[in-house]
Amino acid sequence: MLVLSRRVGESIVIGDDVTVTILEVRSDGIRIGVDAPRSIAVHRAELLVELEASNKDAASPPEDAVSSLAQELRRRTS
Amino acid sequence: MMTTLLDPAEAMTVLAADTELPVIDLVHPMLGFPDDLHFALVDLDGTGQLCSFTSLDHDGLRFLVTPPATFFPDYAPEIDDATIAELDITSTSDVVVLLVVNPGESLLSSTANLKAPVVLNTTNRRACQVIVDDVELSTNTPLVA
Repeated sequence: MLVLSRRVGESIVIGDDVTVTILEVRSDGIRIGVDAPRSIAVHRAELLVELEASNKDAASPPEDAVSSLAQELRRRTS
Repeated sequence: MMTTLLDPAEAMTVLAADTELPVIDLVHPMLGFPDDLHFALVDLDGTGQLCSFTSLDHDGLRFLVTPPATFFPDYAPEIDDATIAELDITSTSDVVVLLVVNPGESLLSSTANLKAPVVLNTTNRRACQVIVDDVELSTNTPLVA
């Protein structure tokens, strides 16, 4: 990992298209601005961790859970 | 763009229109499953309310999905420009939104991921899981209140 020190207002440029700027330092954390083209997704790391975990948890559910859910749905709409 | 939702039965008809197995191509893999890019959509309950999003790249991998209309009729996620470009979406009526379902022991304990729906363009069968920029949305919303 590349480690740099920045002061408020200073920036880091990544590749050709991404600029990260330190906007404000507060007691509860720092505010970071990211300037990047729309084609590059920017997300909080923990959100991606959560989404991956959610997918893995939902992947390939047991057959009996699937059929009972399908059954309940059929009952609901009938 | 705000999505207006294609009727699931209609979507199934569109997807099954080819004589070949309708393959859905993910432009980005599902988070956590980088090697699965080709999926088929299979109606499980005959009404299109519960479908299997089945991987064609690995046996046994599938996700249970539901179109929002059944349990979340007001759900209309904002689809960002990057997704519109990547899926080559030209009309909202071509878009099908599918929510990944985590079935519990019953309907009451089953949840859906509203934070990251699967967005599918039925005209070219390109899809991806999109992270919706709305702090109110969660990955495990109960299907029924």
